[in-house]
Amino acid sequence: MTGGKVNNSPRILVFSTEKISDPAIDMAGLLKLHYPPTVYTIPVPCSSSIKPRWILHALEQGFDGVFIAADGTDCPYGESCTEKTGQLMSVTQQLMKEKGIDPARLKMAAICSVCSEPFVKHVKSFAEYLSKSSN
Amino acid sequence: MKKKIGVYICHCGGNISDYVDVEKVRQAVEGDEGVILSKTTMFACADSNQKEMVDDIKDRELDGVVVASCSPKLHLLTFRAVVERAGLNKYNYVHANIREQVSWAHSDNKMGATEKAIQIVKAAIAKVRNTESLEPVIVEATNAVAVIGAGIAGMRAAIELAEAGSQVYLIEREFFVGGRVAQWDDLCLTEETGKELITRLYDQVMSQKKITLFTGAEVIENSGSVGNFNLKVKITPRHFKLRCTEETLQQAIDVCPVEVPDEFNFNITTRKAIYHNYPSEYPQLPAIDMKNCTRCGECEKVCPNIDFSQKTEYLNLKVGSILLATGFDPYEPKKGEFGYGEIDNVVTFPQFKRIVHYCDDKLVYKGKEIKNIAYIYCVGSRQVDGENKYCSRYCCTAIIHTAITVKKKYKGIHNYHFNRGIRTYGKAEVWYDESSRLGDIYLQSFEYDPPVVEKSGTQTIVRIKDMLTIDKEIEVVADLVVLVTGMVPRQDNSIGNLLKVPRGRDNFFNEIHMKLRPVETVIDGITIAGASQGPKNIMESINSGLAAATKSFSLVNSGELALEPTVAKVNLEACEWCGKCDEACPYNAFEKVETGGKFIAKVNSAVCKGCGMCLPVCPTNALDLIGLTDEDVESMIDALIPNI
Amino acid sequence: MSIQKQMKTLEYDVLVVGAGIAGGESALNLADLGYKVLLLEKELSIGGKMILLSKVFPTLDCAACITTPKVSEIARHPNITIFTGAEPQKILKKGSHRFEAVVLQKPRYVHVADCTGCQLCEEACPVSVTDEYQYGLVGRKAAYIPFSIASPRAAAIDIDNCTLCGACERACPTKCIDFTQTPEEFLVKIKSVVIATGFELFDPLKIPRYGYGKYKNVITSMQMERELAPTRPFNTVLRPGDGKMPDNIAYVLCTGSRDKSVGNPICSQICCMYSIKQAQLLMGALPMADITIYYLHIRAFGKGFNEFYVQAQDMGVEFIKGKVGKITGKENGNLVVRYEDIKAGTVKEAEHDMVVLSVGVLPNQGISGVFENEELQLDPFHFVNQVDLMASPAKTSIEGVFVAGTASGPMDIPDSILSGGAASAETTSYLRKESL
Repeated sequence: MTGGKVNNSPRILVFSTEKISDPAIDMAGLLKLHYPPTVYTIPVPCSSSIKPRWILHALEQGFDGVFIAADGTDCPYGESCTEKTGQLMSVTQQLMKEKGIDPARLKMAAICSVCSEPFVKHVKSFAEYLSKSSN
Repeated sequence: MKKKIGVYICHCGGNISDYVDVEKVRQAVEGDEGVILSKTTMFACADSNQKEMVDDIKDRELDGVVVASCSPKLHLLTFRAVVERAGLNKYNYVHANIREQVSWAHSDNKMGATEKAIQIVKAAIAKVRNTESLEPVIVEATNAVAVIGAGIAGMRAAIELAEAGSQVYLIEREFFVGGRVAQWDDLCLTEETGKELITRLYDQVMSQKKITLFTGAEVIENSGSVGNFNLKVKITPRHFKLRCTEETLQQAIDVCPVEVPDEFNFNITTRKAIYHNYPSEYPQLPAIDMKNCTRCGECEKVCPNIDFSQKTEYLNLKVGSILLATGFDPYEPKKGEFGYGEIDNVVTFPQFKRIVHYCDDKLVYKGKEIKNIAYIYCVGSRQVDGENKYCSRYCCTAIIHTAITVKKKYKGIHNYHFNRGIRTYGKAEVWYDESSRLGDIYLQSFEYDPPVVEKSGTQTIVRIKDMLTIDKEIEVVADLVVLVTGMVPRQDNSIGNLLKVPRGRDNFFNEIHMKLRPVETVIDGITIAGASQGPKNIMESINSGLAAATKSFSLVNSGELALEPTVAKVNLEACEWCGKCDEACPYNAFEKVETGGKFIAKVNSAVCKGCGMCLPVCPTNALDLIGLTDEDVESMIDALIPNI
Repeated sequence: MSIQKQMKTLEYDVLVVGAGIAGGESALNLADLGYKVLLLEKELSIGGKMILLSKVFPTLDCAACITTPKVSEIARHPNITIFTGAEPQKILKKGSHRFEAVVLQKPRYVHVADCTGCQLCEEACPVSVTDEYQYGLVGRKAAYIPFSIASPRAAAIDIDNCTLCGACERACPTKCIDFTQTPEEFLVKIKSVVIATGFELFDPLKIPRYGYGKYKNVITSMQMERELAPTRPFNTVLRPGDGKMPDNIAYVLCTGSRDKSVGNPICSQICCMYSIKQAQLLMGALPMADITIYYLHIRAFGKGFNEFYVQAQDMGVEFIKGKVGKITGKENGNLVVRYEDIKAGTVKEAEHDMVVLSVGVLPNQGISGVFENEELQLDPFHFVNQVDLMASPAKTSIEGVFVAGTASGPMDIPDSILSGGAASAETTSYLRKESL
């Protein structure tokens, strides 16, 4: 694996969404639901606004994994969000394959505005997967 | 590129500094490119620090500012206002969240938390280096508000909005106004009945020229956003032209052959397909329930005002804000829950209220006179296994008040309260006290060991292990068992789904912040009031209705709104119009225009909501979101990965 | 009268009495709509009781993080004028939309505009007295800044305790201390009044059997609140008796509430929840400590409250259903709590090393006497009476006078804020009726 690590945990970049999943991640903190401190968040307006090049950039710069905390059906910008986020996922995974990056290093799950526990569960299991796959 | 950046790292009075070494963070970033000032502060949001920031920005001529503190949902706007007061454009401010997403989330790992805080502040500094001054997009705001739900909270909010000066569309799904309070009759703390209260508010609604009331109406489509929502409303006809005389109406009701359970009375009685809930019901115009009408035509023969030719109407409304006051549903017990639906003398609290309403000198249910009443509390609330973990707030006080009423109204009543700890909060304590003085019996069990309702021969027995008498097993033979059912969110959440209003852990509509912004939702321009946000009594619903009216009014009042300028922008050179952005945009913000001999996409910034759905679909990477450009994101990513 | 002639006359649209969280919310809403507001606060800082709290239930947000920016917004709003250390002496209704108030501003003996809050006067002052803003846990000087996040954050001289030695004057670098200041009265003409005078805490000295004042390790919940607050007097939670860290703390709920013997039959609505909150915070601050809560009924009724209660149970807070009869002190400073264990059906005793009395909410009664020609009715519990509880909860017995927050009865912070919003809404309607 690349990149410096704290506690040997994999570095995960989370793309959260300002109105839906970021509040859930905030609430995880409020409820003191712990997760590895090597999980970093960049909030975006909507999960279907994430450019594949950002994800690739993160992976190439040293992040072990990228997690998209998607709006799902709660997206305030419309129903098409789920489908569009799915599309950018598959486009990016295709690009990852072409570059020889394990596509499983990109993960997505819908995180509603109060889904703090699911968020923590997802990033923990993702971190576990990334640790194992790097060994 | 910014050269004079100021960075402030907040202790949050220990909330951050107990877990994050804020001085270490400061030292780690003080040498970053462009940073000329770095400070730690006990409370970044305190007045004294705000003043200090203003002075720093002026004295040191800062061109970029970062505050690392709590979630941006709390104080992004606070600090943008600070830099603005110092004369710096507010978009040169970047907020770093090191509390909710660092100190609290990693309170178990101080080293890790400090390390993460450093990277997050570095990323914010990287972002602030690229920021540009921006001006808000000014749009017209329609000075009109749609109030959805004409129950107590909605009606009161509508009156307030109209008095303040807004046009109000009060939209009620049922044919009659008044919501749950109309069904409630006797109220605590006042002589006025629910119906009288509704009548009073209805009269005020009708006397306000600025309020238009729609009944049998539902919002079925929504486009636009804060300042300019476009709502499509479907209005179901009542099939009555005018109000008919009592006489012809009664004749029409009499001849109607259809008999269905009467929802207004929680199905303890039946009604015809032609109905009004009670004679003085508002609006004073009956309705025909077309779901059950057989079109036999008998009513038309006796009542000249019936008109089957009325059609469903559709109406388009333009409003600046939407106030949701859609109320609650009473919890419907499952079949067999404390004997409900299986034992014939087990009823819910709302049903009991209607029974009491219809019984004058004797309390009779299903032909049997009632003397012994067992009340089982917390049905559907404070569930150990079920989903509803919350307390429904109103029920303890309401049922005790009702039990007192019953005892005073009829002779020989014995009340047995099977409770889980009485929650008559505040002044309602006096009811609890009075009921105890009147000889009501209170028996208490734990959440995990609730009472049992059983049929034994012809008798209905309620059994409890009573913790108030050292877990003694006590049995009561009850003539009637009242399940004190709580409030649940509306089962039909179509309006919430349509407007995308998020729901909380309890499934009621969720406010942005319980204390800072208690009636606003994350959807700009949509406010919430009454029991749609969580269980409330009448006074509390009115307070929240009035507070929501104030917020909605403040949005539409001035006639214009300043929107965030963080919209999409097109790189003219890279764009080779292909139309993919136009397809992806949910708001039709793109236009195809010709410039310099080629077709390119143009963004209408008053329409663009800045969602960014267009960004990933552009094959030539010609689109960026202002404030979230490739440079912004990639420089943040670089800063999050420490150099090794 | 001669004073009447000398009085400076001021004019505003609305007088808001009390600058706590409810009054502040009302003032801000009204000011945002363009009305000119005079906000009176009898204390030296705005922010009411909330600004002094630690964290707030059920979200555990820190109280200061919510209050200070609001306070800051109020303090710099162009349409709001704030008088601290000021109270209305009388309010007269002169007609529809016409009120006159006489406001007394006590001297601070400091020119607030020139004070930098440097605290040199505090250092210089030789007089030490009990600090009321720390609820008596520590001392302060006679020249002092009320507390670190006060607004305004400026010094004041406690003239009752000052020896007039002049040390502060000499120490002050900006020469902002001025002993020539005198009480000043203003005649204020307004169109409407909002009463947001808040509540008082029950004084546990009225229940001698609980030993408050006699045993140092029996403290009130507000004192514990200060021990837990970010601006806390000690850096940790300590027993006042000997400075030992407690590891077995008891809470006695309903101290002064639901108790006819002290004249307060009603439930204070907030004590259960703030005690549960303090218990959770204590478990964080003192991980090894045992916390016991003696209760009659837990009133966890608001949004997220019951979940918060269940969370405390899961964390290991012990809840004992029982009424506490008597508290006695031991030589080592520990306390013996004698209580009726309802579940066991017997009277028991338990030893704790610190006892917190969860004191209740009492009405702040002074305000009704200020209205001279019309009666401001009080309810049977001496809170401001809400004459149209079900349709207009902010209305009082005087047209044009509205009530916000705990002045009308016990309520928690979210409800106070909603009530402040409701009061400003009704005031707006009332003011608009004049212009029509």
